[in-house]
Amino acid sequence: MLHQLLKKIIRTGVGKGRFVMAGIGLTIAMLLILSAVQIQVNYNELLYAKSNQDSIANFLVVAKVINGNNRENVLSVEEVEKLKRQPFIEKVGLLTASRFKVSAQSPSDRFPFYTDMFFESVPDEFIDVKSNDWKWEPGSTTIPLIIPNQFLDLYNFGFAPSQNLMQLTQSMVMALPIVLNVSYQGQPVRFTGKVVGFSDRISSVLVPQNFLALANKQFGTQGDVRPSRVVIRTNDPGNPELVKYLKANDLVTDADKTRFSQYRRIVNTVVNASWLTGAVMLLFALLVFSLFIQLTIASTKNEINLLVTIGASPTQLQRFLMKQFLPANTVITLACLLVIAILQYVLQAFLSKQNMYVSSWIDWYTVVAAALILVVLWLVNYTTIKKYIKETEK
Amino acid sequence: MQIQLQQVVPVPLKEKFSQRRSDIWNTNITFDAGDWIKIVAPSGTGKTTLLNILYKVRHDYEGEVQWDNRDLKNISGDHLAKLRQQHVSVIFQDLRLFENLTARENIELNRVLQQPFYEAAMIDEMAGLLGITHILNQRAGVCSYGEQQRIAIIRALVQPFEWLIMDEPFSHLDIANTRKAADLIAMECKKRKAGFVLTDLDEDSLFPYTQVFSL
Repeated sequence: MLHQLLKKIIRTGVGKGRFVMAGIGLTIAMLLILSAVQIQVNYNELLYAKSNQDSIANFLVVAKVINGNNRENVLSVEEVEKLKRQPFIEKVGLLTASRFKVSAQSPSDRFPFYTDMFFESVPDEFIDVKSNDWKWEPGSTTIPLIIPNQFLDLYNFGFAPSQNLMQLTQSMVMALPIVLNVSYQGQPVRFTGKVVGFSDRISSVLVPQNFLALANKQFGTQGDVRPSRVVIRTNDPGNPELVKYLKANDLVTDADKTRFSQYRRIVNTVVNASWLTGAVMLLFALLVFSLFIQLTIASTKNEINLLVTIGASPTQLQRFLMKQFLPANTVITLACLLVIAILQYVLQAFLSKQNMYVSSWIDWYTVVAAALILVVLWLVNYTTIKKYIKETEK
Repeated sequence: MQIQLQQVVPVPLKEKFSQRRSDIWNTNITFDAGDWIKIVAPSGTGKTTLLNILYKVRHDYEGEVQWDNRDLKNISGDHLAKLRQQHVSVIFQDLRLFENLTARENIELNRVLQQPFYEAAMIDEMAGLLGITHILNQRAGVCSYGEQQRIAIIRALVQPFEWLIMDEPFSHLDIANTRKAADLIAMECKKRKAGFVLTDLDEDSLFPYTQVFSL
């Protein structure tokens, strides 16, 4: 009853147009800020969530840019150390090359082949192939090999059709023993090679580290050679910092994996712009709201005065005035959350068709952000009302 | 509740009362709980000013007004509102109704500002006694002064109080209506064991006053 009477006395309709404008401003500001939060959350989810990562994403093979001026483009000890120190690089694994001549040939006449080749090795933790056969015991003449998937593709789709040879499956290649001849002081030393896996990550012929270390010592013909390539593990191959660092240090890597950083920069810019615009609009909306409250109180100054005179307490009046503004604010907040939730649902459906997975629900961060904005609104309303009621009392 | 005035004098009247004596100004007096006090004075001697000082709508005075030994100047905000809701009711000379509210709404507002002292039906009962039942649903702004005065009287009586402050409360009423209003006020004050401070231009015998002062 008191509420209805007060409503009749303190007419809040004095500036309806302004109130609606403040409401619209607040809505847009809220939508911008909340979508900025939600986009950020979605993007982080896309970047870091397990379901969105494949095995190659976090490992990059880094090499010096080959510019044709140097005979060798190798990474110095300092350069490797510097790489290790970068915050966006978690681990660095050196690719060690073989320092002896080796050839491979087929033992069978059905798949005749012969090739000169090379080996490289890298610490096991950088290899994307898990196999029980990936080990070498000293003294053993069987050498496990990991070859790039691309080799098999080149053979199956390029070489085999042109030579009228049979296409091979992975298991066929793995079943095929390969004769390896290591040249040692002019004499061939014979080993048997066995492919135990195919790597998508490192495009080289890999042998176990302990074998290569021993073989380099035993058969090596050249001096110490610096690695020309390293494998790095990073938590975020799309990090623009990483791309910047590589470029600045004349290093290259698989561009496909770092291309994400380009998108990331764009998303960051969009998110920041949204943030900024939203924050500025929120500021204006708050200003208009508080002006509207001032106007309401000023235009009913006499009524408020009389109310206080007959015994209405400032608290009662504040409570009443808060009730005039807070429901609108709450409705706007909830409506904005709803809109963002619907957009998120649509986005989820759209992205999942492209094999990108984000949650179909809005994130807690977004809800918390909305609550925070509501608290700020409440505070601004409350302090404005308190201040002007107090002034009216005088 | 006791009211004490210690050397109170309104700033605008200070010079005037530095030359002549007054029962109220520039002196120490006490209104004890339950006292029925009449203040008689000609125009321009500060009757309304006194009541406005007691009710704390005027601050331009020297000296000290104490409600139950508390300086009125130190009571403000929600505490002042509590005093006005629970302990002191008022009938202003200029009535001070909300013109856009109906007579009933004006009264109802003061009834529900605090935990109601009376049921809403009491409004009709009192209106019946004072003969304004027919205008209860009219806008106060269109009521005659006599009607507005009776609305103001009922408005003051629907709330709890220990003191009733009345500034020429019958100025727009004829003798018969004055009698009725005075009877209602006396009844309500007795019911609450409340005191009142009433100002008027002339002496009268409407109430059995316990103290009469001249300004």
